[in-house]
Amino acid sequence: MSTHQKEICTHSIEELPNNISLAKIFWTFFRIGLFTFGGGLAMGTVIRYELASKNKWVTDDEFLSEFATATVIPGSIAVNIAYLQGYRFRGKIGAATAVMGTILPSFITIFAIAYFGLPYFNHPKVVAFFRGSALAVAGQLLFTGFIFGKKLLVKWKNIVICLISLLMATVLGLHPIWSLITAAILDYFLFTKNNHTSVDPDC
Amino acid sequence: MIVSMKILIDLIESFMVIGLSACGGGLVTIPLIQHEMVNVRHWLVSNDIAKILSIAQMTPGPIAINAATFVGFKIAGIIGSVMATLAVIFPSLIILITISSFLKNIKQNEAVIKINQGIQAGVLSLILFAIWSFGSTVISSTLDLFVTIAAFLMLLFLKNKIHPVLVIVLCGIVGLIIY
Repeated sequence: MSTHQKEICTHSIEELPNNISLAKIFWTFFRIGLFTFGGGLAMGTVIRYELASKNKWVTDDEFLSEFATATVIPGSIAVNIAYLQGYRFRGKIGAATAVMGTILPSFITIFAIAYFGLPYFNHPKVVAFFRGSALAVAGQLLFTGFIFGKKLLVKWKNIVICLISLLMATVLGLHPIWSLITAAILDYFLFTKNNHTSVDPDC
Repeated sequence: MIVSMKILIDLIESFMVIGLSACGGGLVTIPLIQHEMVNVRHWLVSNDIAKILSIAQMTPGPIAINAATFVGFKIAGIIGSVMATLAVIFPSLIILITISSFLKNIKQNEAVIKINQGIQAGVLSLILFAIWSFGSTVISSTLDLFVTIAAFLMLLFLKNKIHPVLVIVLCGIVGLIIY
């Protein structure tokens, strides 16, 4: 990691704005949760806009460094970044507020669809719509695989790890979590020299 | 709806596994959800997965949370929906609560960064796996394949001009017309 990033990390919580109200935190993250579709990395851009550009609660560098942490930790990136930013503003209670704000919009939307929509799920028109839209999700997977592959499969190390992980999920039929664990172990123990690729929320 | 304790516990367990292994966000959860719900628990058939994932991608928020809320409701009603949603974020919250006090060290920890790189390759393998498993579920004719490739090309060439959600809705409308 660069010395530049180390410098950012030395900022202490005391230096940051602590007059941000819980209600403000909640509404900011509620908006983030409401207006980000697809989740994950795409949310990074929106969160960065809300927190760094619009409200100026954090600097861009601080945000990027915490975004990197959020991607390393398992689970939804949006929830992780909400926790980290909420914690930075108001400690544990701020973190809980930010996380609630982030997940409530999706919870309410999906709950409403499930509650009112489920009885109509076998209607021919609904089935036809979802048959089409599911193909778009497959297209989206292809696209993500393509972008990811273009970025990662330029190194032999990544190709080997990817193939072994893939074999575990397909040929051996193991739970997908083993692919991830194996990938982490392989990378850590078998390949000692590698460069760190930075995490870019815009990708 | 009367829900047995056993189903609730299974639901929580499944979504905690999904939450814990959802590294790198978003689409990587597709094979996890498919595996847990179809192969391990037999709660859903592959066609349900296609519907749920379409909805999850069309509505705001992270895909894992959307899927948890929906599947939870389908399996065990309101209580199931709340429990599954909490279960899916629980593992990351525990990790975050544990490390947030010494977070500054984690950020600089070479080992964590290195593992994250390896995990990215693992994530790619799961996306490839999902292309195969999800693709073989939803693509059953040449026409299906054609629509999928059209969606892929739209995303590839109109990357910054078209929102992914719009592509999904468009394909849904195409589905209404052709099926």
